[in-house]
Amino acid sequence: MFKKFDEKEHVSGMTPLKSSVQKAMKNKIIQMYPNIEPYITQIMPKKEGLKVVKCHDHIELFAVGNELIFFRQRESPYYPCLRLLHKYPMILPKQRVDRGAIRFILSGANIMCPGLTSPGATLIPAEQDSVVAIMAEGKEHALAIGVMKMSSTDIQTINKGIGVENVHYLNDGLWHVKL
Amino acid sequence: MASADVEDVPQKDVSYPRKLIYCGECTMPLEFCEFHPNYEKCKKWLEKNLPDQFDALMRLSEDDPTAGGEGEKKKQKRGGRGMIKTRKKTGPQKVTIARMQRNKRKYVTVVRGLSTFDIDLKVASKHFANRFATGSSVTGDDEIVIQGDVTYDIIDVVQDKWAEIEDEMIEDLGDQKR
Ligand SMILES: [Zn+2]
Repeated sequence: MFKKFDEKEHVSGMTPLKSSVQKAMKNKIIQMYPNIEPYITQIMPKKEGLKVVKCHDHIELFAVGNELIFFRQRESPYYPCLRLLHKYPMILPKQRVDRGAIRFILSGANIMCPGLTSPGATLIPAEQDSVVAIMAEGKEHALAIGVMKMSSTDIQTINKGIGVENVHYLNDGLWHVKL
Repeated sequence: MASADVEDVPQKDVSYPRKLIYCGECTMPLEFCEFHPNYEKCKKWLEKNLPDQFDALMRLSEDDPTAGGEGEKKKQKRGGRGMIKTRKKTGPQKVTIARMQRNKRKYVTVVRGLSTFDIDLKVASKHFANRFATGSSVTGDDEIVIQGDVTYDIIDVVQDKWAEIEDEMIEDLGDQKR
């Protein structure tokens, strides 16, 4: 989503979000990521308004102050930004890829099944279309955020093709957006 | 290290938000520096700014054969993709000139790559506008469009103003289509 994203070309403007919309978004996020609930007022303080940054291709970035916290494309779910996930790792369930997959993911590639099923990897049960953090063998912090393209069971049995779509990774266009 | 595995539930001994340090060179969490093409620069940054972390890292790579050298061999296994691009800042320094036809007999001159020399595009654009007495504007991330065909003179003007751009670092691409 952000492989070719360049803030200078693709960001068109920032507007405050209506409080009713904000509330709805907050509820949706808690519903999707229940583990976030104890921290939601830390992350999205009532006092400070949420802003939306509209970008090309119907991408929307959501910010508190000058910090990006969530993003989505069209009617996709709200995805947490990596820096937010680093602060609150409990938000997402974690798939762990083997060491060999790291450099591919960092160059924007989707996560192929073998990278999730090899000995260095850890595949936890997850449904198709669910949002997951991409961790890596021997590493503590997430390097990407992905969407399951197959269920974990299918990844295990089919074991080829794209297992998880890479929606946001370290050093991609979103990572470098500064508000 | 395993802590993140079980961090689906908040950890009692960790307070949130977790604080972590990002590399001043590659911007990633320090543990990913080794995957950056400019790892050597990362190391220099680390040594200068966080000497303790640097020492720990050096000790780690001595103990663990998979951290460092061996990873280099592994990368070959999965084919050609997976080369991490460095940001423009550290990319090759090159300026290109192109002429584009705007109307039947009207041209614009497109200059790209000035920011690879850390040149302020707005300043450059203004300089061109003055120098050629024409319109000039910054039209992209690293692109300036000058009204009219000034390709005959642009390379000299660029090199007069920014002497660090040597002959082999500037190229005239000739006519280009939009
Ligand atoms: Zn680094």
